[in-house]
Amino acid sequence: MRLPKFPASSGLWIRCAAILAGALSLSGCEWYRLDGPQSTITTEGPVAYHQTHLFYVTCWVTLVIFIFVGSTLAYAIWKFRARTEADEHAEPPAQSHGNPLVEIGLIGASVLALVIIAFPTIHDISYTYDVPQAEKAFAYNVTATGYQWWFKFEYPSETIPGSGVLTTGNELVIPAGRPVHIDLRSADVMHSFWIPKLAGKVDMIPNRANFLWLQADHPGYYWGQCAEFCGDSHALMRFRVIALNASDFNAWLAHQKQPAHVPDAAAKPAAQFASLRTFGTNEIGFAAGDLLDRDPFAAWKQKQLPDATPADPALIAQGRALFASKTCIACHTIRGVEGAVGVRGPDLTHVGARTTIAAGLLENNPEELQRWIHNPGAVKPGNKMWVEGFVANNIQLTPADETALVAFLSSLK
Amino acid sequence: MADALVKTDFLGKDEPAATKPFVIWRPQAKTGLISWLTTVDHKRIGFLYGISALFFFLVGGVEALLIRLQLMVPNNHLLTAPQYNEMFTMHATTMIFLAIMPLSAAFFNFVMPLQIGARDVAFPRLNAFSFWTFLAGAIIVNLGWFLHSGAPDAGWFAYTPLSTRTYTPGHAMDMWVMGIQLLGVASIAASLNFIITIINLRAPGMTMMRLPVFTWMTLVTAFLIVLAFPAITIALVELMMDRIFGTNFFEVSNGGMPILWTHLFWVFGHPEVYILILPAMGVISEILPTFSRKPLFGYPIVVFSGAAIGFLGFGVWSHHMFTTGMGTMATAAFAVTTMCIAVPTGVKIFNWIGTLWGGHLQMRTPMMFALGFIWLFMIGGFSGVMHAAAPADAEQHNSYFVVAHFHYVLIGGSLFALLAGIHYWFPLLCGRKINEFWGKLSFWVIFVGFNVTFFPMHFLGLNGMPRRTFTYDGNMGWNQGNFIATMGALVLGVGVFIYFAVMVYTWFKGERVGRDPWDARTLEWCLPNPPPEYNFRVIPTVHARDDWWHTKHEAAPAKAEAHGGPGHDHGIHMPFQSIYPFIAACGILIGAIGIAVVDYNTDPHVIVGKKLAVTLVGAVIMITAIYLWALEGNEGYHLHPEEEGHGHAPAAGKHH
Amino acid sequence: MSNAATGAIDHHFDPTTSTGIPNKKLLMWMFLASDCMFFGCLISTHLIYRLHPPPGTPSAKSVFSIELTSFSTFILLMSSLMMALAVNSIQKGNLKTLRSSLLTTILFGSIFLGCQVFEFNNFVFEKHLTITNSILGTTFFTLTGTHGCHVAVGVFWLTLMYVRSFQPKDTTADRSWFVRNLVHIVACLGTILLGMMLVLKLVRSLQGAPSFGAGVGLWLKDYWIALIGIAVTGTLMRILARPSGAVAFDEHNAIDVEMMGLYWHFVDIVWIVIFTAVYLLEYI
Repeated sequence: MRLPKFPASSGLWIRCAAILAGALSLSGCEWYRLDGPQSTITTEGPVAYHQTHLFYVTCWVTLVIFIFVGSTLAYAIWKFRARTEADEHAEPPAQSHGNPLVEIGLIGASVLALVIIAFPTIHDISYTYDVPQAEKAFAYNVTATGYQWWFKFEYPSETIPGSGVLTTGNELVIPAGRPVHIDLRSADVMHSFWIPKLAGKVDMIPNRANFLWLQADHPGYYWGQCAEFCGDSHALMRFRVIALNASDFNAWLAHQKQPAHVPDAAAKPAAQFASLRTFGTNEIGFAAGDLLDRDPFAAWKQKQLPDATPADPALIAQGRALFASKTCIACHTIRGVEGAVGVRGPDLTHVGARTTIAAGLLENNPEELQRWIHNPGAVKPGNKMWVEGFVANNIQLTPADETALVAFLSSLK
Repeated sequence: MADALVKTDFLGKDEPAATKPFVIWRPQAKTGLISWLTTVDHKRIGFLYGISALFFFLVGGVEALLIRLQLMVPNNHLLTAPQYNEMFTMHATTMIFLAIMPLSAAFFNFVMPLQIGARDVAFPRLNAFSFWTFLAGAIIVNLGWFLHSGAPDAGWFAYTPLSTRTYTPGHAMDMWVMGIQLLGVASIAASLNFIITIINLRAPGMTMMRLPVFTWMTLVTAFLIVLAFPAITIALVELMMDRIFGTNFFEVSNGGMPILWTHLFWVFGHPEVYILILPAMGVISEILPTFSRKPLFGYPIVVFSGAAIGFLGFGVWSHHMFTTGMGTMATAAFAVTTMCIAVPTGVKIFNWIGTLWGGHLQMRTPMMFALGFIWLFMIGGFSGVMHAAAPADAEQHNSYFVVAHFHYVLIGGSLFALLAGIHYWFPLLCGRKINEFWGKLSFWVIFVGFNVTFFPMHFLGLNGMPRRTFTYDGNMGWNQGNFIATMGALVLGVGVFIYFAVMVYTWFKGERVGRDPWDARTLEWCLPNPPPEYNFRVIPTVHARDDWWHTKHEAAPAKAEAHGGPGHDHGIHMPFQSIYPFIAACGILIGAIGIAVVDYNTDPHVIVGKKLAVTLVGAVIMITAIYLWALEGNEGYHLHPEEEGHGHAPAAGKHH
Repeated sequence: MSNAATGAIDHHFDPTTSTGIPNKKLLMWMFLASDCMFFGCLISTHLIYRLHPPPGTPSAKSVFSIELTSFSTFILLMSSLMMALAVNSIQKGNLKTLRSSLLTTILFGSIFLGCQVFEFNNFVFEKHLTITNSILGTTFFTLTGTHGCHVAVGVFWLTLMYVRSFQPKDTTADRSWFVRNLVHIVACLGTILLGMMLVLKLVRSLQGAPSFGAGVGLWLKDYWIALIGIAVTGTLMRILARPSGAVAFDEHNAIDVEMMGLYWHFVDIVWIVIFTAVYLLEYI
């Protein structure tokens, strides 16, 4: 049997590649566009800007080298390849063993290229390490602690009489246009704190005092995610950063320091949502096209406002009682709720004012909230609320319980 | 099948003249299972390494495909989170420790002694022990798939405290810890052997600066293994003590510091990167000169840059830890050393291009893979330089950009070179040659599939997708990149399938070729294929670098005569086969199962519980085997090969 | 090379290798290079944790007994001297001196191990420093325990080499040699282990007893079986060590003894580093 031979001419291959490239670019692909919510390219603060700028420097330097070396390689392959049967059996070429001058010249050139990268690298290492000296006094301090699989944020400068410092979970609110120094701690395993648009990551390592600094140039809503493998639900350990201008930030702080909201008993109840929708395994926790998807910052602002249609105060009170009787208080703090001083889970004092729940995984709406407390293990495999709370304590929730708890938690604005 | 096995027996002509003490079993089988279990022939051991490595390569490939299928679309649920974590942990462990390293070891074993004109490695039984211990380690690491515990799932860095008993209970992690320790023992034992062989068993005239580059890279790699594996072994011992005896090395509540693990791991982990790539560079440095029909450009510089890479490789480990808050000084220092190591790496690429320049390039399949290697390794090298810029790395670290980078160096680099090497040395292994059409087809499919898989990952990483995530939401801009990558992975899978199909076909039915089918340059090609079990009838005397080429094309007839001079009267000394390395490795396997797999007996009245009992049984078997191994001594017999057909003189006429 | 003509063995040059260094010697050197890294990592672990003691860590100084450790260090160093003598004697083909030097090395190694057992016992039961209850205990026991394992392997190897030096020339003719060999090894190991146990128990009895005589009496009462045992194993060793025809152990085996010697010296040198880094550092 005679097998086909590959065409000796490379023209066919080039044509194939061109057709492929054309098809890819014409198909309206977005894979090479770098404008996602966690893009490291469209930066929004000086730290990430420097890091990305340095990346560009490395890109350009290596691209230039690639063009030189690559074209030499391509030319050598093209020029010296055996084209015919006769070429294959020709006398061997001159057996030259090398040229020291060429070698030394190329080594020198590579060193030079690396020096171009080394200088900005060393400059940026010290710049991105800590808040610049001149701005130290102006910097705002926050402590972030990683847990399996959520983030706790503490504001050491905001003390609340009787309750320690202001604590939130999974949504970090910072002042815009001001350096923020974040101390990074871990309560269990290694995590890594990463808000791509604001700053590169720094690891949260147990028994080690790490920190980073960042600054959001503009008020806005930023995505963050754990970037060190930390167990089953590492992929679901996300968080958000909301940067506010000075006055909004102060107003937010003042409101956060208030204890949990208790609804006016005379308020007119709104219609409750009816029943639990069945969610698929690993189903997305956002509705495409709603406000949070289109304009998350606006959605966040809206969340801060009181509900236009508040829930039934009686239902909320029932949820409040369930929160204690179903042992939620053992792990969650809600300032203003008797006994709710647990610290193993996120502080829920103002959970109703957050845009997301379950560490940035689900949109904070009654449906998703019920999905979460109905079966946390299905939403976030291996999570402690499920394993060490529900299963270990044999907690059962009826649909009515879930409705009441959802109403209560949603009311905590 | 039986026919195929017989073919690789490298049969000798003589029956051993046994002097057999009564307690020592001296197997003499030349074919069949016993012959393989007791072999001390470096070529057969190399073959065993190769077969095991290719098997695990397919296992790791299936794991990779499952990973890609899970990530094909957002919010996919093909795999659960724990299953996905098992997949990526085992994919990395398998590919690094059970596929690429043993595949390199296969080449070290098969090719290196032939290249330096040695009869065998320095310690043939230790060589067999290395292989069987490797297999024991591979079994332990993979045992979890078949047990209740499941496979290990803490990532191949096994960062503490995630890998401690508190956060990863169950035996899967114990098996990983135990298995990697065994693989370490196997690698160190094998490397000691290679080092002694290269330093001490070179043929007369084979000075260090005449060694083939592949042998040089074997030497550097072996040094790296000998000096780097202790670091991870100690880290694993500490972790094992924590897990089994409740010590405090990584117990945070008692003052343990997880950062210590990251340092110890990467003190091993970075040299490991070079352990994976240096053999590949060696293979490329053999193939390019052969198919360009001219010597390697700047041999001394290629050798010294390889050694420099090995040396500097120990000074750059913390570039895997730029995000651990090391402080500005340490970060800057490691950034600079990392840039330094790019220079010798770049030098090699220049030299390879220099080798092509002015040559007559024969575009055979091994050459295609080798040229593909240069392109892809260059791209991987450039993204490596980007990571050396520590602040930029802060964004890229643990993102898909890094995933893209290390697959460009590990697949585009190591694997392409090893695939090239398989095709290149295949005629020597079994006297058959791969069909050019199908070989080239597999190259192009693999090349395209590889790039379609991994190139978009750079963009995914820059777009903020972290690695080791089992799912992602559809609104992050990662959908198309992931979809394209999965399609590419399927193409890559098809390519690998074609490659293997061609290889298996060639093994049984491929075109037969005579000695030295590529008109190659180094000593191993002066042998008939497959090489006889005693390798060289007469140990050759070496007169030049690329001695075989020198003999064929340049040497005066007098010198060629010296090559094929008469043999010694008393024949060729061959070592006896031995079963004890295999039994010792079996003992180790049983002991490791006792330590890692068997549960504690919780009954306080039982003094020797099941766990201790199994471990002790393993230990006793191991010690007994080693004792008998020592008693049987390194004796051997003499072989008198027939003159005809086994001579060292070059085949007449073909290349003249 | 000229030695080859006279029949004498040049112990520093092996003409069958490219470098002239015997393969076994080179193997041991490379292995020791690897072992350096093992100990390097363990010692660094200890030193790093020494710099970061968590609150509540016991002070090492209050636990250590520098006098005992200094004594055992000295003994281990002396064992190196005996090892060197052993290598020297076999290179000259002097089997008698080889055997006595090996036995002395074994004795010194066992004394060192005995001191370590005593020390570990003392730390655990009297100073309450265990491998689990503090980071100091964790790193200390792991590091010194690993070294102790190396010494124990060395003693085992020395024992095997000692017994090996009695192997008859023609093993096919002398069919009982294998059993004799095994019994010999067991007798040696039994003597070492029983001896270590008896001495340690004697020390314990003397510590707990009101007078010397009472201590010895108690010890004799409790351990007379062990005393009989050691008498039996000792006698066996003596009997099996009687000369019986030509043995297959001479100058040609010098490389085996030398390889073992390299290992033994290395283990001693590592102990000097450990003694400095773990013990002496606490007394600065």
